[in-house]
Amino acid sequence: MTQRSPLYFALRRFADNKAAVVAGIVLAVIVLMAVFAPLISKTGYADQDFLAQSYAFPSGTFWFGVDDLGRDFFTRIVYGARVSLTIGFAAAAFSVLIGIPLGAIAGYYGGWADWGVMRLIELFSVVPPLLAAMLLGALTNGGFLTIVLIAALFGWVQVCLLVRAQVKAFREKEFVRAAAALGASPGYIIHRHLIPNALSPIIVGFVLAIPLAMMLDASLSFLGIGVPPPTPSWGQMINVGMNFMYFYWHLAVFPTAALAITVLATTLFGDGLRDALDPTLKGR
Amino acid sequence: MIRYILGRIASIALTFTVVSVIVFLMMHAVPGGPFDGNDMPVSDEVKAKLNASLGLDQPLYVQYFKYMWGVLHFDFGIPFQSPGETTLQLLSRAWPPSLILGGAGVLIGAPLGILLGMAAALRRNSWIDYLASAFATLGLTIPVFVISMGLIMVFAVWLNWLPASGWGKPHSWILPITAYAAIPMATYARYTRSAMLDVLTKPFVTVLRAKGLSERRIIFQHVLRNAALPMVTVFLPMFIGTATGSIFVEAMFRVPGLGAYFVSSITLRDYSLEMALILMVTMMFCIAYLLSDIVYALLNPRIRVGRRS
Repeated sequence: MTQRSPLYFALRRFADNKAAVVAGIVLAVIVLMAVFAPLISKTGYADQDFLAQSYAFPSGTFWFGVDDLGRDFFTRIVYGARVSLTIGFAAAAFSVLIGIPLGAIAGYYGGWADWGVMRLIELFSVVPPLLAAMLLGALTNGGFLTIVLIAALFGWVQVCLLVRAQVKAFREKEFVRAAAALGASPGYIIHRHLIPNALSPIIVGFVLAIPLAMMLDASLSFLGIGVPPPTPSWGQMINVGMNFMYFYWHLAVFPTAALAITVLATTLFGDGLRDALDPTLKGR
Repeated sequence: MIRYILGRIASIALTFTVVSVIVFLMMHAVPGGPFDGNDMPVSDEVKAKLNASLGLDQPLYVQYFKYMWGVLHFDFGIPFQSPGETTLQLLSRAWPPSLILGGAGVLIGAPLGILLGMAAALRRNSWIDYLASAFATLGLTIPVFVISMGLIMVFAVWLNWLPASGWGKPHSWILPITAYAAIPMATYARYTRSAMLDVLTKPFVTVLRAKGLSERRIIFQHVLRNAALPMVTVFLPMFIGTATGSIFVEAMFRVPGLGAYFVSSITLRDYSLEMALILMVTMMFCIAYLLSDIVYALLNPRIRVGRRS
């Protein structure tokens, strides 16, 4: 009899979750579309090649119609996936980079370190993120990197709490105490033993931070303080499309659907991953 | 318990002070001042006089302490974008629409969500469970301005049943309240489902069933009471979050509430109003979290606050 690895069981649990599998496939398709955007679109995202057909409704030539400035709308939506996904992944990466060390320190040392980190988290839980994001956006004049950093500023809290809980739970385990008795430094223990054991919450935290960042980007772009035009951002397209909603429905509906499908797919994929990696958390 | 509450109040005071300092510094670090706009250009002399009359020429720390001293006496200064009234008057004028719509949204959405979550937990893996899960996920992942737009498209544009926007006649409240209700309903559906499932698998429920108690009594007297704990604690913060208005819902439905001022106070460098809004929301969240923790401890005798490990 061969022994199955925990990874095998995690994969099997994931495969059993139909919603998560479908979400993963949808997400993969969106990622591929974003990566190969120049191959599947006819024009550049800022080319005003169809000014004469501005506002054209969806048709065989223009799958999603033409926008108010004579740009092929399908191209804009596809390139929008690039912007949205890049922001989502980059912000999630920064969230993890901030969240892991703080969570590990708070969980391992406890006491004053824990108190300090928890007060910091409290600070972020009482200030409405959107307000702070708007203020930071005004302060830095928006832009791609700013949005990523703002999203990370509010995304790290979740990762930090997950890592802290996991480190706290493993700190008193025998193998950790054995390592300490053998003379391992706290840094070595955290880096070699505690963080690897916190890997699955970190992965889950990373994936679930992506949709939050994408939502924040869309909200800020909707308010006009996101990524500046002509960079195609879905939030910005929704904002513009809203003005023409009664007459040219496609300008609002397509970016809305794109945003909703992407956020939904990422969330379901993340939920499925969490249930697969940590069956005890199922259903939360 | 009293020691715990006093400790929490001290911690809230600390949080509040830190937030006020950070926000004040950030606000003033944004380039430009309230009279630098291009709509009504004023000469440098006039600008200097205006700034002096509002105390904006003083060093930042003086301005900060003056403002916070006023806050302690419920004086939040004068909003520059509407100098004929005090900030408090402006807030008391702009808040009621947000409070009515957002409050109604939570008060309608939360019970509906609880019912949906209960139905889902009791009929696990049935169509209603899948419906509830789908609804809960959609409600939490689709941005609220998208939900608002969907409502306007369907009920105002295609069916023409309700007005697309406005504030005045109660029937124009229906769509914004529905939009506001979506998030509390989705959150509660999710919470209730997982809390109920959690309790339903506990051994004491099996014992109650073995004792021959009717399913109805088990659910309402035992399961629900235990499952209610986490549900009670999320209510107050959620109420505050919704009843202080959503920039998006109010912009979509043209509601003259607080939402627009969150944006305009930042873009117009309306320092007093900006501080007042952020401090007010922050303080309400702090109090909401404190109250929910106290309620949680009161409802749950297993928790002994103050003696946490």
